[in-house]
Amino acid sequence: MRFRFCGDLDCPDWVLAEISTLAKISSVKMKLLCAQVLKDLLGEGIDYEKVGKLTADAKFESGDIKASVAVLSFIFSSAAKHDVDSESLSSELQQLGLPKEHTTGLCKSYEDKHVALREKLRETSLRLGRLDSVSWRVDYTLSSSELREVNQPTIQLKLQRQGAESGAPETTVVSVSADKFRVLLAGKFSIF
Amino acid sequence: MLLVLSEEHKEHLSFLPQVDAAVVGEFGRIALEFLRRGASPKVYEGAARKLCVPVEMVQHGVEGLMFLMTESSKHMISEVDFLDSVLVLGFSEELNQMLLQLYLQHHSQIRSILSHLPSSMPAYHNLEWRLDVQLARRSVRQQLIPMLTMRVHLTRSDGHSDYNSRILQTDPSTLLHLISTLEAALAAMKTSHARRILRNIK
Repeated sequence: MRFRFCGDLDCPDWVLAEISTLAKISSVKMKLLCAQVLKDLLGEGIDYEKVGKLTADAKFESGDIKASVAVLSFIFSSAAKHDVDSESLSSELQQLGLPKEHTTGLCKSYEDKHVALREKLRETSLRLGRLDSVSWRVDYTLSSSELREVNQPTIQLKLQRQGAESGAPETTVVSVSADKFRVLLAGKFSIF
Repeated sequence: MLLVLSEEHKEHLSFLPQVDAAVVGEFGRIALEFLRRGASPKVYEGAARKLCVPVEMVQHGVEGLMFLMTESSKHMISEVDFLDSVLVLGFSEELNQMLLQLYLQHHSQIRSILSHLPSSMPAYHNLEWRLDVQLARRSVRQQLIPMLTMRVHLTRSDGHSDYNSRILQTDPSTLLHLISTLEAALAAMKTSHARRILRNIK
């Protein structure tokens, strides 16, 4: 059975198993749990005590709590990844056995945060060596130890980026002569 | 199997019957903390002062107890064997029972701590990828080159929680070759040779 929210692949077995765990809590608590999981996916952190209180009525053990958080994270992030609209998500989840009230609650939360989730996923996509900032300075060299009168402008460029391998901030300082800088600018503008 | 305790070990443990049962329990707890977190001399000094004995005796007693526990857990010896091994020390029945209880309660924990000791190779943790299509370069325009960039996160070999990452870049045909090689490796698990060996290990 191919599901759109799993990227037109089969649904993983563990998701099938944990959907039945999700059906044990009431639909109101399910909506609150979805809100918590969405907060976590958007990077605002998850409040495990609240989650514990929400699942306390259904007497979830710690393994069940972790499983329900994991399955909701998977559903939301996978649906956002494949840009599934909420009606398809709703019908697919009902096919998998999630009760109707739970599905409507889940899809409503998904629809509200759909755009924000996709934005967040876009931001956390793999990027190597992101450029953080560029600062420049123009100097005019009057003379040097080699030549008494130099009279040449030089550009100093400081590029701050995140290192490709390590992800730590790195700084590169380059000094460019005026002619080279003109070549650099000429090459840059001919892309568009 | 029976544990064979060296003379020095027996001498260290001979300190234990001289103190009462509660103190032996306390020493057991200190010994397990030692396994988990390393020795702390302050604890030994405190205990030595309370019992009015030299610090080395306390230290040897605790270390001897810890060694007894790790050796027993390492070989997974049964209760009967443990009692027989401890009988050689000539302790009272009550003390033997206490040591047995200590062993039974903690041996799985000790085994899991011991299993983390040898350093392992970096292991797979996470894989991020992106698919790009190169459209043009400074020297050549109107191109269409698909490229796959991956960042593999590996756990460090000494077991710390921070991760090494490696960056790899490949074109789609190499990636397909990579996938087929790895699937062939997985399929090797199903050959009769591999199955025969796995059956015998179980």
